Amino acid sequence: MAILNFIITCPLIAAVFLTFVPRTFRTVMRGVAIAATFLSAALAVKIFLQFQTALPDYQFVYQRPWVQALGISYHVGVDGINVGLVLMGAIVAFAAACVSWEIKDREKEFYILLLVMTGGILGAFASLDLFFFYFFHELALVPTFIMIGVWGRGERKNYATFQITLYLSIGALIALIGLIALYLGAGANSFDIPELEKHFQQNPLDADKQRFIFPLLLFGFGILVSLWPFHTWAPLGYGSAPTPTAMLHAGVLKKFGLYALIRVALPMLPAGAHNLMPLVAWLALGNLVYCGWVAMRQKDFSWLAGYSSVAHMGFVFLGLAALNLIGITGAVVVMIAHGFLAALTFGLAGYLYQQAGTLQIGEFGGLLRRLPFIGTIMIMAAFAGCGLPGFANFAGEVTVFFGAWKAFPKLTVLACWGAMVIGAIYLLRAVRTMLQGPLNEKCSNLVDAANPWRKAPFVILVSCLIIFGCFPRLLTDKIQPRAQEIVDALNSNHESIPSKSPIIQAAADATPSPINELQK
Amino acid sequence: MRPELLPWFVLFLPLAAAVIITLFTRRDRELSAGLSNGAVVAGLILSVIFVSWAGWQAANPESTVNWLSIGDLSVQFGLRFDPLSLLMMLIVTGVASLIHIYSWGYMRDDPGFSRYFACLSLFTFSMLGIVLANNFIELFIFWELVGLSSYLLIGFWFERPAAADAGKKAFITNRLGDFGFILGILAVWAQLGSLNFATLQNSLTAKPEALGTFATAIGLLIFCGAVGKSAQFPLHVWLPDAMEGPTPVSALIHAATMVAAGVYMLCRVFFLLNVPNSNALMVIALIGGFTALLAALIAVQQNDIKRILAYSTLSQLGYMVMGVGVGSPAQSMFHLSTHAFFKALLFLGAGSVIVALHHEQDIWKMGGLRKKMPVTFWTFLAGTLALAGVWPMSGFFSKDALLAQAAEHHKYGLFALGEFVAILTSFYMFRLVFVVFFQPAKAGSSAHVHESPSVMLWPLRILAVFTVIGGFIGIQALDAKFFSPEQALLDASFGEQLIGPIIHEKLAAAVGLFAAVLGFAGAYILYFGAVSDPLPQKLGAFSRAMRNRFYFDEIYQRYVIPIHESLASVADWFDRWIIEGICVGSVRGGTNLAGSLLRLLQTGNLQTYAFLFALGVAIVLYLALR
Amino acid sequence: MHITLQHYLTVSVLLFAVGLLGVIVRRNLLVIYMCIELMLNAANLALVAFSRFTNNFDGQVFVFFIITVAAAEVSVGLALIVALYRKRQTAHVEDLTLMKN
Repeated sequence: MAILNFIITCPLIAAVFLTFVPRTFRTVMRGVAIAATFLSAALAVKIFLQFQTALPDYQFVYQRPWVQALGISYHVGVDGINVGLVLMGAIVAFAAACVSWEIKDREKEFYILLLVMTGGILGAFASLDLFFFYFFHELALVPTFIMIGVWGRGERKNYATFQITLYLSIGALIALIGLIALYLGAGANSFDIPELEKHFQQNPLDADKQRFIFPLLLFGFGILVSLWPFHTWAPLGYGSAPTPTAMLHAGVLKKFGLYALIRVALPMLPAGAHNLMPLVAWLALGNLVYCGWVAMRQKDFSWLAGYSSVAHMGFVFLGLAALNLIGITGAVVVMIAHGFLAALTFGLAGYLYQQAGTLQIGEFGGLLRRLPFIGTIMIMAAFAGCGLPGFANFAGEVTVFFGAWKAFPKLTVLACWGAMVIGAIYLLRAVRTMLQGPLNEKCSNLVDAANPWRKAPFVILVSCLIIFGCFPRLLTDKIQPRAQEIVDALNSNHESIPSKSPIIQAAADATPSPINELQK
Repeated sequence: MRPELLPWFVLFLPLAAAVIITLFTRRDRELSAGLSNGAVVAGLILSVIFVSWAGWQAANPESTVNWLSIGDLSVQFGLRFDPLSLLMMLIVTGVASLIHIYSWGYMRDDPGFSRYFACLSLFTFSMLGIVLANNFIELFIFWELVGLSSYLLIGFWFERPAAADAGKKAFITNRLGDFGFILGILAVWAQLGSLNFATLQNSLTAKPEALGTFATAIGLLIFCGAVGKSAQFPLHVWLPDAMEGPTPVSALIHAATMVAAGVYMLCRVFFLLNVPNSNALMVIALIGGFTALLAALIAVQQNDIKRILAYSTLSQLGYMVMGVGVGSPAQSMFHLSTHAFFKALLFLGAGSVIVALHHEQDIWKMGGLRKKMPVTFWTFLAGTLALAGVWPMSGFFSKDALLAQAAEHHKYGLFALGEFVAILTSFYMFRLVFVVFFQPAKAGSSAHVHESPSVMLWPLRILAVFTVIGGFIGIQALDAKFFSPEQALLDASFGEQLIGPIIHEKLAAAVGLFAAVLGFAGAYILYFGAVSDPLPQKLGAFSRAMRNRFYFDEIYQRYVIPIHESLASVADWFDRWIIEGICVGSVRGGTNLAGSLLRLLQTGNLQTYAFLFALGVAIVLYLALR
Repeated sequence: MHITLQHYLTVSVLLFAVGLLGVIVRRNLLVIYMCIELMLNAANLALVAFSRFTNNFDGQVFVFFIITVAAAEVSVGLALIVALYRKRQTAHVEDLTLMKN
């Protein structure tokens, strides 16, 4: 079987298998879930390493026609942009499966839903057919509803589960209308993404239709990604969700909307994009600065983490809005880095909730002495969140700043403030109250993560952050060619933008010193 | 092995030590300390080997790896070997080695011994990265990492609320500076298209107006980074609080190296500040001068030995920044180098005193130390003389050079300011020496005082040697040659270097020495043999203001920070009530309302349904048949 | 006077209207049920009339179907009404509003 297929269907098959396992075989269920996600993760690492940057086409492709009349086929493949996302999704899913030890009742249903969600996410990222793209996303979204409703926490969990599901379904519906309009507008009788791209390059839609369809796609997918002002579902939803669901949703499923924008909306609707992106930049600022401010006022750690997660999405939108190579590449790097970070943060929050029964920041204090491992990981997560170099978030954020500065310098100033100062303020305040200072008596019965299985998910996520933080080229080299294609598609109707600023050209011509030669 | 790889080892050995200690050797204290010390001493040895092999101006000035390369953006990870960075590399590894060794004794009884050395190694790695970086983003990366190490080390005793708060304050205040810094970096890249220092320097020499109208703005934004890292006004508030950390940390980070990074950075990118249509240097000089004065005034009335030294550091940093601002980066670097020696010496000496008195830090509770701790006393005195600028200590040469340059560039206001601050410096330092060492012994804590162990004394001795000879081992010539290679400086002989300043820069030398003597006299009159501070009665409210640090912390706490907090509150309110309450609420409420209205159609009455059914049929028939 | 198709259809329509009105207005379940039967028979009448005047037997055949179905429907419906009466002790349609709102 094609390897990508295996990555997607392994969790789904495991889910089906689990329905036949009797309810009481808890170890077997946990073992199967962990094994399935581990397999997917290992294979995702394999294709990531085997991915060849130089080839222009999609790699590891598998295609099988389904409904010929409408042009639907099951088509999966990876290119520079989604190979990193598939990797991130698979690893986070494995971490989420490891963290699920805290679910103590109805494990069978939980693991089945978790595996279905994983399969859906991986399928969504790998899919190259619009129909299955949407289908896999919905497949991943529905289990969220059940998981938050049944295994969620907090008094408002019922409200939260309805809100998150209905809000996101509305977003998906708006996006679906856009996608269908795109399909009809193409008139090519195909849902296949590469074909549609080629079609739109040759005969683009006229500007009015683009101006109509693009906002549908933007806001539809934007709701899925908590674009300001459609972000209020996120903190309550993540606060009420069980830990593995929060990890998967905040880390991975949220990125689907952004991926859809990059894959579908930007290349196929360039005029619409150019029209609306300045607005998107302002909204991104809403995410970065405004949600950062709100995060500063939160007293509950999971709400703080939720708003922080929303704030980081601002980076991606800012990078996309810049509509240049650097911005888009940086945006994808932030997506991947934030996936690991969000999973890490919510994993930590879940651990603390499981131990202490509450996540009110004021109820904690001096945890670093009592829980050295968790405390250290939390400090690392806090610093990764405020963009400390050495973690992958810095590489992405700094790239986005460079890309955005070219397009909107004044907005970038505010964005930097949001990222550097506001982020540091609320994260370090949380660290100060929860981890430092004298030990709070309410915390004296908390226990650190003892055995390797408990530590494994955190170690894996932190390692990924550090690896990609120290070697960002692992990601950017792969992303860049594809991002360049997208930028070319975006600029095909506009005059070409020079790729090198005039000053460096003049300097390079004027001074052929050996230093310059070294730089080449 | 190719010798160009040596600096890479120097850079990465401390990181390797930090990682190994964190992951593997936490429980073995001696091994952790050994690893950390070994890494930095090996770094020192390798640095010396490299410099003696390659000379000060290496033939191949850079060694790089492509770290991130997307379109126009090309960020390298590379090391630069020119006199400036090599000098700093030697100083950093040298001072860090001494302080690592000192810490082995100082932190011996602390339960977090291994963690301390891991953080210290991380810091050494980051600091070396700053001085060896060859482009802005690499510099920024290590800049932030140094901030992280500082956070970890200031908050080392994290269970103490004051320490934890101080660490947070330091990091966030630094971040404010870094905010300006990154904006400056972005602007430079946008205007000039490169991030590499060498390329930028070449671009600006080829075309000095390349920065256009943004020259001042860019210069000031980049200066923001130095304002944060080197604790200049108005971001100076974190440095005194940073004294909550262990004393060797204060010596290494907050005296000798990290805070000097800001000055180093300004000197490194001096060519960006020195462009024709930029007023940045003037602002820089003014801020530096103001900081020097402010800090010196505050130091006069502090009673904690470490706070006095902290404010003294602030003041000297102000000098260095002022030096850059008047256009003499070479002399600033010279002062930076000598300051590293004598300030580290003073802090380590203070540490020796503190540990001998069982962690007593109030100078008025100390006494009787001159006879009982001779090594500490004499080395401390050497450091004080250097700081006060007494010939022939290194501090005299560097301070004199700086102020002479100010006079030469016709900045007489700043010259006068600098000399006034010199008076204050001498005054408060001798105040410190008289009160700590010359006071009569007090009963109780001073009874069991004895000199510190040798592992702490040898670094003091070595630093004292450098403090004395630092003025004439050629540092100044090196810096001068780097910054103004066209001025043919003859290699001065030893004697020439010794007497040179007095002969060539008579005004500065004379006024400087006079200032030192004046301060000494004032301190002697007021503090020799005093048992309590006489100044509060004499100066009243002004003295209180000095002691309370001119209320800057309070002003920030009461007026500046609440502005930001209120913005956050507004955002929170808006989110809770407007977006969630009104917008989402209206969708929710609207749906509920529609549902309730439609529900009214369900009367449950059979006949209503039948009627509506018939009505519907009639309407449809009408529409179909018309 | 010559009896034309129009006359039959008019009678049929009148019967239907009376039945419909009865369904909407009357309150006793059994009376409503009888009115429904009335409507069915009105349809029967119309069908027979059409069949007679167009000389096509399809209408009359269809009437047989309707009568059969009506008979079956009456038996089931009356059984339901009786069961309902046993449960609720009332055949008054305004008392049977469990599905309200």
